[in-house]
Amino acid sequence: MLRQDINELLTRTGPGTPMGELFRQYWIPACLAEELSENDCPPIRLKLLSERLIAFRDSHGRYGLIDEFCAHRGASLWFGRNEEGGLRCPYHGWKYDVTGQCVEVPSEADNSSFCQNVKLTAYPLVKIGDVLWTHMGDPAKRPPLPEFEFALVPPEQTYTSKRLQECNWLQAFEGGIDSSHVTWLHSGGLKSDPLFKGAKGNEYNQKDTKPFFEVVDSDGGLYVGARRNAEDGKYYWRITPWVMPSFTMVPPRGDHPIHGHFWIPIDDENCWVYSFDYHPVRALTAVERQAMIEGHGVHSENIPGTYRPVANRDNDYLMDREKQRTGEWYSGVKGIAIQDASVQESMGPIVDRTKERLVPADAGIIKARQKLRKAAIALRDHGITPPGVDPAHHRVRSAAVVLPHAQDFLDAVKDDVRVRPGVPISSV
Amino acid sequence: MPKVIYVGDDGTEYAVDAVVGESVMAAAVKNGVPGIVGECGGNASCATCHVWVREEFGPAVGPPGDLEEDVLDLAVSERRGGSRLSCQITVGPGLDGLTVDVPPVQP
Repeated sequence: MLRQDINELLTRTGPGTPMGELFRQYWIPACLAEELSENDCPPIRLKLLSERLIAFRDSHGRYGLIDEFCAHRGASLWFGRNEEGGLRCPYHGWKYDVTGQCVEVPSEADNSSFCQNVKLTAYPLVKIGDVLWTHMGDPAKRPPLPEFEFALVPPEQTYTSKRLQECNWLQAFEGGIDSSHVTWLHSGGLKSDPLFKGAKGNEYNQKDTKPFFEVVDSDGGLYVGARRNAEDGKYYWRITPWVMPSFTMVPPRGDHPIHGHFWIPIDDENCWVYSFDYHPVRALTAVERQAMIEGHGVHSENIPGTYRPVANRDNDYLMDREKQRTGEWYSGVKGIAIQDASVQESMGPIVDRTKERLVPADAGIIKARQKLRKAAIALRDHGITPPGVDPAHHRVRSAAVVLPHAQDFLDAVKDDVRVRPGVPISSV
Repeated sequence: MPKVIYVGDDGTEYAVDAVVGESVMAAAVKNGVPGIVGECGGNASCATCHVWVREEFGPAVGPPGDLEEDVLDLAVSERRGGSRLSCQITVGPGLDGLTVDVPPVQP
């Protein structure tokens, strides 16, 4: 269980909350680059950490992320005209640039300097890989740009999607460091999904349903090691890195692309799930990329023009009891992403953790909560920069390896769990 | 057999003859001591066997382990200096007479 006051602390991320301030220390994904695909394209509405914002790309290709509402009388700038180097409110023509600076108030006299004193809240928006990243905290404490490998490899080697998840970020994120659910919830996918099937490691996953967890600190968060029996005298280890606040990577399977997630609070009852796949040393094949676009693997099939999955809580995630009976889809829900969404959203908007019953297989979750709690309090009380802000902490990889019983897993994989440009992932 | 004494919230004492090598939680559960649940079976995961070790036994019992430390922070209703998960205290000859207070509620 988790004390109610700590559950509140960890799940609330609006302005001024300890966890909200923690999130505001980091560069986080704000949207996909594809959402602002060309200069002067329509602006998009975004809510991040409970703040309502507008993202746009101006006539010169500059990205901006500004307060959604016009400083004049509060109209939404989503209705704005994105033209001539700024976003113009359609109500009375006030115009803003990508820094939030008001550059024109047409009703004022030509020699008026009124607009110079009008500036909306604005955050930077920077394209790295397929993602536009923002930092919503104090500009004076803005860290260097993120260095996650999925965003730095050449475009042909990486693919990122996103989907709306209708629950608090923490219960979604906790699924990302919980290796033990894979054997159950995702068991159908290990056999059939084109982005998972065929790996030797899948057999170990299926045969040993009682993984032992060993969780160790890393510079930016944790390494969660899940140990299952392999051949005589050996263990199969799946190592999941977590970089604070909410970046996780799934341990690889065979030579399939490696994948992971970023879980970003929209508000306290919704989050964006960014799901990426990349291969460190080769281009994704056409077949792999097509499978990702179609929603296989960790990706989802979304309602066209939106990032809400086709299978969602309004249609019971298209539950198929026949597929559940045969085991083709263990839970009766299709696809890894929607399987996760269905169970995590079913827990309610913010799960009541005072009622949960944790077991040893939840050690990663216990450790992560403690690390988040300590970091949020250290920041609030002493201004201490949390782990994971330093880009050096971003250069991690997951790994899946077979080791002799006697070998210490972290010692054995210390090179495998860091980014080594040009070196393939360590995977069975 | 070393004796372990559990003191309830109302002051009631339960003295149990414990087996060397078993945990203070297991000794309580086997003997029906109220207020010690041990839901996770002794894995330092659930915090339902929380006790306050009397100060004089602190040095003999020792400090909490790594995961236990986290669970004490996150789950118990009132953490004090003597807070331990009793599943993580092993009964030994040196702990004869160990006295622990049982919280009024477990998570």
